[in-house]
Amino acid sequence: IPLCFVSHRYKRYIFIAHFIENADGKYISPFHDVPIYANEADNIFHAIVEVPRWTNAKMEIATKDPLNPLKQDVKKGNLRYVANVFPHKGYIWNYGAIPQTWEDPGHKDSDTGCCGDNDPIDICDIGNKVCSRGEVIKVKVLGTLALIDEGETDWKVIVINTEDPEAGDFNNIDDVKRLKPGYLEATVDWFRRYKVPDGKPENQFAFNGDFKDRDFAIQTVKSTHEFWKALISKKSNAGELNCMNTSVSDSPFCCSAADAEAVVKSVSSSNFPMSQLKELLSFLP
Amino acid sequence: FCSSVRQTAAAVPHSYYPRKTMHYQTEQRGHPNSPDYRIYFKTSDGKYISPFHDIPLIAESEQNDDVPAKKPKSENKVLYNMVVEVPRWSNAKMEIATKEPLNPIKQDVKKGKLRYVANIFPHKGYIWNYGALPQTWEDPSHKDKETDCCGDNDPIDVCDIGTQVCSPGQVIQVKVLGILAMIDEGEMDWKVIAINANDEDAEKLNCIEDVRKSRPGHLEATVEWFRKYKVPDGKPENQFGFNGEFKDKDFAVEIIKSTHEHWRALVQKQTNAGGIECKNMSCCNSPFQFSADEARAVVQSVRASKNRLRQQQW
Repeated sequence: IPLCFVSHRYKRYIFIAHFIENADGKYISPFHDVPIYANEADNIFHAIVEVPRWTNAKMEIATKDPLNPLKQDVKKGNLRYVANVFPHKGYIWNYGAIPQTWEDPGHKDSDTGCCGDNDPIDICDIGNKVCSRGEVIKVKVLGTLALIDEGETDWKVIVINTEDPEAGDFNNIDDVKRLKPGYLEATVDWFRRYKVPDGKPENQFAFNGDFKDRDFAIQTVKSTHEFWKALISKKSNAGELNCMNTSVSDSPFCCSAADAEAVVKSVSSSNFPMSQLKELLSFLP
Repeated sequence: FCSSVRQTAAAVPHSYYPRKTMHYQTEQRGHPNSPDYRIYFKTSDGKYISPFHDIPLIAESEQNDDVPAKKPKSENKVLYNMVVEVPRWSNAKMEIATKEPLNPIKQDVKKGKLRYVANIFPHKGYIWNYGALPQTWEDPSHKDKETDCCGDNDPIDVCDIGTQVCSPGQVIQVKVLGILAMIDEGEMDWKVIAINANDEDAEKLNCIEDVRKSRPGHLEATVEWFRKYKVPDGKPENQFGFNGEFKDKDFAVEIIKSTHEHWRALVQKQTNAGGIECKNMSCCNSPFQFSADEARAVVQSVRASKNRLRQQQW
């Protein structure tokens, strides 16, 4: 049965609703219920878009909230907006995550020497289309960057939306270098500096900031899928993560569609600080 | 919007009628991203004006009648009015409609389509607030000595490098810092580099070298952007006078003054208007001056889709 994902704005959250033929929309978790693979044989993955290209609001899958809706990150009591680090405007790709993956903080990565950042694995979609928050897309994996963000392993998988008219030309990281010159350099530059306007230091990378290729990236994604399987089956300690799901039937955290519906209805309109988006422009030496 | 309290520099020749601090309002007709969309300008007492001809080039202050101006203010403190057409990071090519009565802002149309500027990687849309200096005109019958090119028949263009993102139709005051001699499709098309006087860096930026130091990469990006911005539309790269180098503030002021003189000749009918609509409210010796009632009639005759009137005050 083809799956159709629709994002649904409810108060200040975006929930993912899963529509099945002839049924009412059922609420699901984008972290646990969207299948990792759109096509396993061809290594086509699903991705949830959190931040559309050129926007600044730091939207994230709320890993600690039931049903893990998308919501805007809050730091020090303020809604978080990423600075514009010249020459970049906001995020320079559609940014998001691959579902059913987890960078385990209890696992020290042998390449980066750092533990996982406790989140699904991140993706940067280099396709031309500016996607919407909460959009579920199908992507081809092209390569990965090994970011060490504030001392934690934070892979950035470079992908392209399969619906991009040029997707057929992109099969590996070298295609990106050839067909979109400057884009990978801009990507490293962006991740290195994006927190500096907020007073944080420049970020570091493993492999000297080089991009690893498609096969390496796919292996990395698959290993985070294994970590997630251990999480959802309660073999790993979830800590504060919320593992409520409606589709992983042998998971101790699995619940009914009615339970999911009850979660969405009970969401309280909590006091989010309404800070003004300041379209500042940072020039860093 | 309120112009800051400054004294005019007596050294600057003025043909405009001295007036107190001006507040401008805009009135929108139609909807953005449509060919009918227009932004008309009004004074704070509701009189329709032309942003091309009726907003003073030099931003003036409240005249304190008790204290006569003692000495000319240094050129450092001269502020110019700027009419913002395109906000930073946006793509819709908004322009002062030089050939329509009252010269409202509208979106440019090319080959029957609304025009949007391409995103020139790594940039998104325009990389400064972009607009025009009022009461200036790049005369197409005047050939520039350095470049041997004729003017592009428009007010002189200005890039505001300030941090705040402005809106189309907003009138701000800017400090001039330098100028780039762009040749756009064979026509002289100066780009004044300026900064919003309200910007927190405005006080410490006084010349083009200050810009280079405080905003590394921005001037280089500016040249590259202007060089390439029409390439995605199938046009060739643009050229520049002076090898693409930025000239400093004094040179910029001289260019601005000469385009101001060309404009004065235009509205006083000393120059062939070449399709330019010169109707104005305020230029006393201009044969094109018309009344407030005539201006109101122009705006009311504009057919707005769904007749929605939206006003904004700056």
